[in-house]
Amino acid sequence: MNNIIEVKNLTKQYKTLTAVDNLSFNVKEGEILGLLGPNGSGKTTTINCILSLLNYQKGTIKIFGKEMKPDSYDIKSKIGVIFQDVAVFEELTVYDNIDYFCGLYIKDKKKRKEYINDAINLVGLNEFKKFYPKQLSGGLLRRLNIACGIAHKPKLIFLDEPTVAVDPQSRNNILDNIKTLRNQGTTIVYTTHYMEEVEILCDEIIILDKGKILAKGTLDELKEYASIEEKITVEINDLKEEIIEEIKEFKNVDKISYERNILLITYKKGKNNLGELIDYLKSKKVKYNKIFSERPTLNDVFLELTGKELRD
Amino acid sequence: MTVFKTFWKIVKKYKGTIILYTVMLIAFGGINQIANENETDFVNSKPNVIIVNNDEEKGLTKNLIDYIKNNSNIIDIKNTEEARNDAIFFRDANYIIYIPNGYRNDILKGLNPEIEIKSSGDYQSSLAEMILTRYLKTQSIYNKEIKNETELINTINKTLKKKSIVEISSKLNTDEITKISRFFNFASYSIMAVILYIICLVLYSFNKDIVKKRTIISSMNYKKHNKLILFASSLFALLICILYMILSIILFKESMITTRGLIYLLNTFIFTFTALTLALLVSSLVNSKEAISGIVNVVALGSAFLCGAFIPVEFLPEQVLKISRILPAYWYINSNELLKTTEILNLSTLKPILIDYLVMIIFGIIFIIINNLVTKKKRVS
Repeated sequence: MNNIIEVKNLTKQYKTLTAVDNLSFNVKEGEILGLLGPNGSGKTTTINCILSLLNYQKGTIKIFGKEMKPDSYDIKSKIGVIFQDVAVFEELTVYDNIDYFCGLYIKDKKKRKEYINDAINLVGLNEFKKFYPKQLSGGLLRRLNIACGIAHKPKLIFLDEPTVAVDPQSRNNILDNIKTLRNQGTTIVYTTHYMEEVEILCDEIIILDKGKILAKGTLDELKEYASIEEKITVEINDLKEEIIEEIKEFKNVDKISYERNILLITYKKGKNNLGELIDYLKSKKVKYNKIFSERPTLNDVFLELTGKELRD
Repeated sequence: MTVFKTFWKIVKKYKGTIILYTVMLIAFGGINQIANENETDFVNSKPNVIIVNNDEEKGLTKNLIDYIKNNSNIIDIKNTEEARNDAIFFRDANYIIYIPNGYRNDILKGLNPEIEIKSSGDYQSSLAEMILTRYLKTQSIYNKEIKNETELINTINKTLKKKSIVEISSKLNTDEITKISRFFNFASYSIMAVILYIICLVLYSFNKDIVKKRTIISSMNYKKHNKLILFASSLFALLICILYMILSIILFKESMITTRGLIYLLNTFIFTFTALTLALLVSSLVNSKEAISGIVNVVALGSAFLCGAFIPVEFLPEQVLKISRILPAYWYINSNELLKTTEILNLSTLKPILIDYLVMIIFGIIFIIINNLVTKKKRVS
């Protein structure tokens, strides 16, 4: 697959602060790249540099094989952007807003009308065509924001934290829309600090902090960064201290804790840890309410890499 | 085309504001018409005079008394000095003429007898004095030549009967021109408020950071986008100017289809240009709707009060007018006022008006320069 975006050694400085530090990555055609990082990690700055909204001190950016400049209108015509803040006109209806932003790309009236209706159908705003932004709920506004960014059917879409402060129903709708766009062959760059979204959507993930790439790869590749491989949680009433001590001696056990009737065991490596634990508890006639095993999450990876929570 | 169309869609959303200011102007124009129709014409008035005759009422003395009687209202009061003084004090009489004993004989002898008077010192008393002086001067002229009393009386009366015809050569309908001036003075407020308010609100919507960002990222050349906005803003200002021009023609009809009327319209056009440049400057400085509302009130309402849009310039203190020179509306209203008083319109009489135009254009150029500097600074930051 072709590289749609090629970023090499990108560096952006604000006086003494280095917001983006020697960043290099590629985005392949039809792929969803997740830019993951806490607030202030450099995600939005990176996107703004890619879109030529910001000047940068060092590096090269190529989109669709051509160098991206402020006047690269042929490249811009294939790009759609959805910002975190809703970028619409308060004085225009839902339809007119989409018409305006689509009209910046598509001159042909008939074609534009068709595209606008497709966008409205995609985000599910059919009943709200004549509504003004003030009359829409927060979730519907976000959908309008997305419709304005994708109505011209771009081949590459940048979504900058589109689900911040959105209710679960609207969030699911937005995520479904992104999946639909991916299925249509659109390349997407998705920035967020919600790891669940990245786990659901992204083919490739880049974890950023302080303007640097801490890790990049697929979800499974990133999970390799975690020193733990499995977490087992057991709900047991009145567990004896001697049993905890015995479990501690199990092979591969990294840490163990027992608080409020919850036993949490983390394993470094190994297989069949859950089976081994169940057998041991049976042999000791220990009764438990719940038992489940988890793979390390992106948050665990992030904790490993940065020593801090992802959502700060 | 999308940008241009969207501009007008947003303007349409604010049509209420345009209607409000236009209705205010129409209402003012209507009131202005009615108010001036109630003005009264010139009425000939006579002073109230008391004649105290100490001479015999015969010949020249009688003739003097008759003349005064014909040209003033004779007050008949109690024949005491106290009553006469009271009449002067309470303005029942404006003038008292004391004809001395032997007045007739002294005149016939060729002397110039002294006539005592008392005056209330008001306008009417001056009128009485004019009447008396006129008679005495005429009598004095002929007294030297004519010795026969009857002949002297006839000559004096014949001369005094002669009337000069005064014809005002001006063809100016001052009432109508005053109304036109007042209308355009008030229009300065409507023009400034509508252009400033609407253009700032529309450009605020286009220039909101996030909308601007989305537009810059689009495949439309941002310079072209800005040119379209500028074109649409200019067209809007021009349409407002034309609307108010049409209003003036509806209100003042053929008075506007004259050279003077056309100069009023040209003046309004230049003021509209200045208001447009100011609106563009304010829109690049302000980034909230509340601030726009505040600025429109301060600039439009402030300059209307300071420059004489609401209150006639004649009633404004000198200091206020000095301060208001820093506002474009002052120069617009000043040229309206000059047009009102200039009798003959030619290049030399129009010079002060042309200077006003020049000042308004300079204001516009300054606003454009500042706007460019602000935009450049914003772009760099």
